[in-house]
Amino acid sequence: MSAGAFWSMGGYARYVWPCFAFVCTVLVWNLWSARRFHLEARKRALRNLAMNPAEQAGNHQP
Amino acid sequence: MWTWFYRLASPPYVYRVAAALMPWFLGVAVLMIGYGVIDGLVFAPPDYQQGDAFRIIYVHAPSAWMSMFIYSTMAVAGAIGLIWRIKMGHAVAAASAPIGASFTLAGLVTGSLWGRPMWGTYWAWDPRLTSELILLFLYVGVMSLRSAFEDSGRGDRAAALLAIVGVINVPIIHFSVLWWNSLHQGATVARFGMPAMPGSMLWPLLSNLLGFMCFYGAVLCLRLRGEILNRERQATWVREAVKS
Repeated sequence: MSAGAFWSMGGYARYVWPCFAFVCTVLVWNLWSARRFHLEARKRALRNLAMNPAEQAGNHQP
Repeated sequence: MWTWFYRLASPPYVYRVAAALMPWFLGVAVLMIGYGVIDGLVFAPPDYQQGDAFRIIYVHAPSAWMSMFIYSTMAVAGAIGLIWRIKMGHAVAAASAPIGASFTLAGLVTGSLWGRPMWGTYWAWDPRLTSELILLFLYVGVMSLRSAFEDSGRGDRAAALLAIVGVINVPIIHFSVLWWNSLHQGATVARFGMPAMPGSMLWPLLSNLLGFMCFYGAVLCLRLRGEILNRERQATWVREAVKS
């Protein structure tokens, strides 16, 4: 398959490539937002520890 | 025998396990999706009817499968949280909802782009498309309901109830092409008998499906760690966990 034929996708390039691009964006967004969510939660927990160092109580109930 | 199950109810244990599993899930996902996309775009032969447009299946079908799989996972996790009052159940459900919603949106958008050249329209009020759109609304509803309550416990319970009631939509999506007249094609892989695809087309699809599942595992691990920290902010073990 030539490069031209590959990129033109048999005339369906305007449908095929946006699909792959959209799903790629969704995958990257998922990773980025999950990482950001975790980091923000970590920051909040650290801030909470700094503000209330004496209030730490064991709470391991499921 | 049930020790492993009970350990999954412990936030510090799940927090540690999620950290250990995340890179493995992500590594396998990158390999499987990489192989699936390259094989599907370059080496799989074009379809005899749809030509190269059929290659959209390699991202559309895994996205749509994941939308249903994640919703079912969310409903089961919510039920575990409701019935056994295990907080980790609600945490898994909360972490899964945005991931599932994004895959549902991906399934709808790629399906719409596939529909234009094949059916002549981006959208039709077809049973499969409509039930998938309802799934997206259910995801949005579950997320909104959880955040609507000031008391997170009540929000978790309400969201779990909606997730459990809404799970009836999952078999409706799957069987809609059999139960009603539909523009959408019938099942290609998940059907009785052999898949209706030759191996050269099927392997990249299965690879992408497995890759998407591992990707969900990786993102779930990351989000779950955030959920656990938000919920267990007051616990002693969090001090050690966030400082390390």
